[in-house]
Amino acid sequence: MDTASLTSTPLHRGAEADLSLGTIGPWKVVVKRRVRKKYRNPILDERIRHDRTISEASVIHEAKTAGARVPSIVGVDIENNTIVMTHLAGTVARECLDDMGKSEAQKLLRSIGEQIGLLHTAGIVHGDLTTSNVIVSPSGASFIVDFGMSHRSVEPEDRGVDLHLLQRSIVASHSQDSSSMMNATIRGYEKTAGKKIATSTWRKAREIARRGRYFAIR
Amino acid sequence: MCLGIESTAHTFGASLVDDRDRIVTNVNSTYRPPVGVGIHPRKASEHLASVADGIVKTALSIKDGSSIDPDVIAYAAGPGLGPCLRIGATVARALSSFLKKPLVPVHHGVAHLDIAMSITKAHDPLAVLVSGGHTSILVHVGKRWRVYGETQDITLGNLLDMFAREAKLPSPGGLSVSREATKGENLIKLPYTVKGNDVAYSGLLTAAATSLRRQGNLADLCFSLQETAFSMLSEAVERSLVQTRRSEVLLAGGVAASPRLREMIGSVAEDHGASFHPVPIEYSGDCGAQIACSGRLAYESGTTVSTSDSFVTPRWRMDEVDVPWIPRA
Repeated sequence: MDTASLTSTPLHRGAEADLSLGTIGPWKVVVKRRVRKKYRNPILDERIRHDRTISEASVIHEAKTAGARVPSIVGVDIENNTIVMTHLAGTVARECLDDMGKSEAQKLLRSIGEQIGLLHTAGIVHGDLTTSNVIVSPSGASFIVDFGMSHRSVEPEDRGVDLHLLQRSIVASHSQDSSSMMNATIRGYEKTAGKKIATSTWRKAREIARRGRYFAIR
Repeated sequence: MCLGIESTAHTFGASLVDDRDRIVTNVNSTYRPPVGVGIHPRKASEHLASVADGIVKTALSIKDGSSIDPDVIAYAAGPGLGPCLRIGATVARALSSFLKKPLVPVHHGVAHLDIAMSITKAHDPLAVLVSGGHTSILVHVGKRWRVYGETQDITLGNLLDMFAREAKLPSPGGLSVSREATKGENLIKLPYTVKGNDVAYSGLLTAAATSLRRQGNLADLCFSLQETAFSMLSEAVERSLVQTRRSEVLLAGGVAASPRLREMIGSVAEDHGASFHPVPIEYSGDCGAQIACSGRLAYESGTTVSTSDSFVTPRWRMDEVDVPWIPRA
């Protein structure tokens, strides 16, 4: 797919890619273009952008097949490190979580947990799971987006990173109580991934948190 | 006037900072291990003990030869090497009880950020702390620094020091690697590990050291090691900056002296419209001034400790310390 001639309007500037909004036939589409990073050596930069574009597109497709709520891939333009996918209407969880009451927030986290469970049982880890990468649809359903850091793994270690990152993003960016939010997440996760995977993933997530520097052994 | 005493690892430092946050004196002595060897905690502590009295004396004397009695004594209570921490704490306790002045424990990592914020006039930044003890991306929420991203194994300072040791380059490793890197030009493929906002450097170290043993070109390896390690951190910083939406990026700690890292983190800040606040190179490494600066702020917000409770804490996380003086005015 050649995206060079596709007209689109800027939507969002992420950390590693520019998102813009376009139209192909009846669909509203999001064009995700991995832009060159000035700080990075050009050879390293090209390698990272190329590898991640291919990996992201294939993982999103697999996640869809596994029944998770993710965007659908419309096309991939490897030469321009660009993915075209369907647009999702809704609000970023980061924007709406703090305005919610506790029970509504718990309901959202539970549904996020269910989605993570689906991904993990399909052998996919997200790799950058923060509240910025969850879109809440007008009906309240949660969609997981941005699979740029994702990869295939069934290791508790990699699954644990997902829950660890989600927890840290709640602690650092939100006023909601993080322990009740994580409890809700794990309940949802358990529903789709099962008790066994849920237990091992959560145990690993706590271990990863403790791996940071200077944790005293208590 | 606050006297700060630093002795967490290789440096013994003493410094006076006045009530208007100006550094009046800053005297330091650093233990340098032989080439190819790391810091031995006991040998480092012996060095610190041997220079301690001279350094404190010099730090307390001003130009006309007279000496100043400080109003507050701050010491680095951790994190760091136990034997080294105890040297500084002992000196601080002695001065405090002799001069009958309050004693203030300081977190060494928090102090790196405090001095950087004071000098570069940062208010509420995304802080990037890179040294031999820390590699963390932090934001201040509530009363504390919160870790937004960090290394999952060794620090950036460890990585550069340990590679320099393997390559028989002199300490400090970061500087030696940086010098060699300017002569390199070929990018060798090395493991690039970013997990969300976290980085992991041990695989990179192993791969670089293995390549060195297989007669890899040293300049190219130093170049590739820097490019890979710094790109990993820059990516994590960029990701954190986008999510936390801070308008300032602070770069502090010993590795902040690296010109290439300053260039890369500066470029990330610029790309996202944030101002860039790199600590001046002379205050990037461990020094007494950081402890005096942080101790003064801690004392003003009511932190003191009695001599009998003035423990050292070799393991002490950044997010376990209350720092109510941030955001800064």
